[in-house]
Amino acid sequence: MLLVNGVLLALLLLSMLACALFGPVRLDLSQALQNPFSANPDAEIFFRARLPRVLLGAAIGGGMAVCGVALQALLGNPLACPQMLGVSGGASLGGILGLIFFPHWLLPIAGGLLGEISWAPLAAFVGALISMVLVYRFSLFHGRLHPYHLLLSGVIFNSFIAALIMFLNSIVDFYQAQGLLFWLMGSLSTRAYLTVAFIWGYIVIGFLWLWAKGLSLNLITMGEEAALQLGVETAALQRQVFIASSLMIGAMVSVSGMIGFIGLMIPHVMRLIVGSDHRLLLPASFLAGGIFLCWADTLARIVLAPAELPVGIITAFFGGPFFLYMLYREGRRKFAL
Amino acid sequence: MNPAIQTRELSFSYRDRAVLHQVSFSVESGEMLGMLGPNGSGKTTLLKILSAVLPSHGEVHLKGKRIESYGRRELSRLFAVVQQEPQINFPYTAAEIVLMGRASHHGTLALESQKDLEVARASLALTDSLALADRYLHELSGGEKQRVLIARALAQEPEILLLDEPSAFLDLKHQVQVFELLRRLNRERGLTVVAALHDLNLAALFFPRLMMLREGAIYSDGSPSEVLTEKTIEDVYGIRVRIESNFANGTPQLSICPSL
Amino acid sequence: MSWRAKITTIWFLLLHLVALGASVPSVRAAAARGPKRIVSLAPSVTETIFALGFGERLVGVTTYCDYPAAAKQLPKIGTFTNPSLEAIVAKRPDLVIGVNSATDPTTAREIERLGLKIRLISQAAVGDILQSIVNIAKLLEASEAGTTLTRNIEAQIEQVKTRVAPAPRRPTLLAVGLRPLVAVGGKNYLDELIYLAGGENIAGGATQPWLNLPDEYIVAKAPQVIIEAGMGSDRGQSARHWRDLQSIPAVRERHVYAYPSDKILRPGPRIGEGLEEIARMIHPECFAQTARADKGTRCEGPRS
Repeated sequence: MLLVNGVLLALLLLSMLACALFGPVRLDLSQALQNPFSANPDAEIFFRARLPRVLLGAAIGGGMAVCGVALQALLGNPLACPQMLGVSGGASLGGILGLIFFPHWLLPIAGGLLGEISWAPLAAFVGALISMVLVYRFSLFHGRLHPYHLLLSGVIFNSFIAALIMFLNSIVDFYQAQGLLFWLMGSLSTRAYLTVAFIWGYIVIGFLWLWAKGLSLNLITMGEEAALQLGVETAALQRQVFIASSLMIGAMVSVSGMIGFIGLMIPHVMRLIVGSDHRLLLPASFLAGGIFLCWADTLARIVLAPAELPVGIITAFFGGPFFLYMLYREGRRKFAL
Repeated sequence: MNPAIQTRELSFSYRDRAVLHQVSFSVESGEMLGMLGPNGSGKTTLLKILSAVLPSHGEVHLKGKRIESYGRRELSRLFAVVQQEPQINFPYTAAEIVLMGRASHHGTLALESQKDLEVARASLALTDSLALADRYLHELSGGEKQRVLIARALAQEPEILLLDEPSAFLDLKHQVQVFELLRRLNRERGLTVVAALHDLNLAALFFPRLMMLREGAIYSDGSPSEVLTEKTIEDVYGIRVRIESNFANGTPQLSICPSL
Repeated sequence: MSWRAKITTIWFLLLHLVALGASVPSVRAAAARGPKRIVSLAPSVTETIFALGFGERLVGVTTYCDYPAAAKQLPKIGTFTNPSLEAIVAKRPDLVIGVNSATDPTTAREIERLGLKIRLISQAAVGDILQSIVNIAKLLEASEAGTTLTRNIEAQIEQVKTRVAPAPRRPTLLAVGLRPLVAVGGKNYLDELIYLAGGENIAGGATQPWLNLPDEYIVAKAPQVIIEAGMGSDRGQSARHWRDLQSIPAVRERHVYAYPSDKILRPGPRIGEGLEEIARMIHPECFAQTARADKGTRCEGPRS
């Protein structure tokens, strides 16, 4: 366990460094390091333009992967992913509405001491919370959260949200449409260390909480009845995992828009490498997710330079075929083709 | 001494369909009880209620205390269940699955201890599945899976073992093996065994006490020769049979009289 | 001249003016040719039609058509990107004018199939914009007005070119959104306008007309002028956005400007004016009124 996680941690740190060094423009690292605080272009590129992105990517990649693991356990389905819960859709819708109706408003944090936060991410988070409550209510039967209904509610909710978003897309002007794309396809573009720190704190707490539930997650994948008989309070666990994942996803989407497929691909790949024991799978997926998203973001900046592609396109580019491949393999396995 | 299991006026309905009516019985510690009855007679539901998966109208007592007063982990150390058809969609090895039976014995944040590993290994050996330890569950045959699940139940070191048609997917050799194992555990360790069974002859051979359920109520309860009568079979299952004595030990064995 | 003679002269002139004024509409009414009911599918087209003097023939415009003020009163037939086919047909136009970049070709074909006359104009480059004005004028059977209008705009452009000619090209960023930052790229008439105004579009090498620019690219290209167009004038948000990128010359030397007007964002008859306005931002020293006395920068220097 230590060995695998140690290797992954080292890879993550290396990746973060590498991604901060690579990009569409050349960077003179020595210049950057010599005068980090002066108005020095290399320093600004490294410390202000790239490093926050890389840090954010590690957090969000890890967070998405971990939520993917948790949700797959919760829904008993290795093809589940964070997008299915409906929370990310709600967050995007909230962000888009915030973008349309109050794009310029800012809320001072701690009386302006810690800077300001724009309304759009707040609206996104509120959207996430509302979706969470709605999907939860729709999936509640006899006071218990049924995985099957959760999946169904989430998917239907998402479709509905997608329709709403497309409607909004047809009535916004050109500038708002660009903002809309950000919410739908994601971007790690940020320079605010405060935001990055906040997200890191949030995600680490969520991750540690889920990791502590690792054994229970193992048991719940045995089936709900079996889990009950093996000593798990399944109703409580389902509720808690759902809420924890939703809160994490809501925060992540509020900051970086919808970045999909990480929660689907990374758990599956890591299962092949480290097995399905969640006590190992969770930290391994967290680190692997961070590595993946860092590199995806670097690709997003390089592929069509100088333009920056939304990072969700890169993850979808890898994720789509991956998903098809997984379905193919599942089919072969189940039907012995 | 409190009976291991005792129920009083147990009733249960799925929506408007009543499944169990006022079922009252008790099982002493160390007994082996086989539950019989056609599909829909309520066997599985009864087992689910006994294993605290379903709530009930009526009372269920385990070792003298109401079942609701136990915590889940406590219950998990008290009894273990072997279900009929597990739906496990994730790749686990047989060893990992059996180790999960030890979950209620060690802390949620702790890893398995040496003892846990030993118990798991012993359980696999008991069910003749040690060779399957590193194979993935989805690669195993139905019978092999069943044996692994029994091993998991045994790894819980329960006092009571509840089984739902444990021989359903097993070939004859393994069916007999499982029942012989149950009998052995019952005699050597005093394990209380309650099983829902569909094979009447095997039930009669191995279980000293049988309980026949019909449409959610107990039709008869007693030794195999008391329960397995031609009249009972005809009333409950609706088919005619002939009861004969097993040549080895005198337990009733039935032969079906097909309508020609 | 005696006072009587003066009054007579004045009355004489006034009468002539009145007669002339009164006769002009009738002259025009007698000579009214070309389409009488026009639907415009783009704000730039609406502005062009008004500029050519045929605003009163418009029977349908988009919800974004707000210049000149009279356009706001006109009936609306949908948005710039989503005009309503039914609304257009209901107006019984004898000419519909759309733009290549935005009007959906399927909608255009539908309109044609319904027997209406539709023309699409191209606005990809400054030359195209001027040509479109001429084309629209031709469709309105008022070619002279078209030529006059384009000549005026060309003159404005020439003036600006001359003014900024001696000054060195300044790397410029023209952004139309901050969050996310959407910049003008290549193959865009705005890129041309920047060039004409004496600037060098830092994203001009890109093939896309609009693109998201990562911050590192902007820092590396070190623009000396940043123009934030069409976003309303929340200077606070802009200041906060650029605050920690002081290595960018435009930020350090406070050459970040807001340009909320639509003049350059609509490829229409006001681009000449718009060009001058952005040239004043890029090369303030070349325009007498805005030359900063304290800087003492002269409008000249080696051409890069």
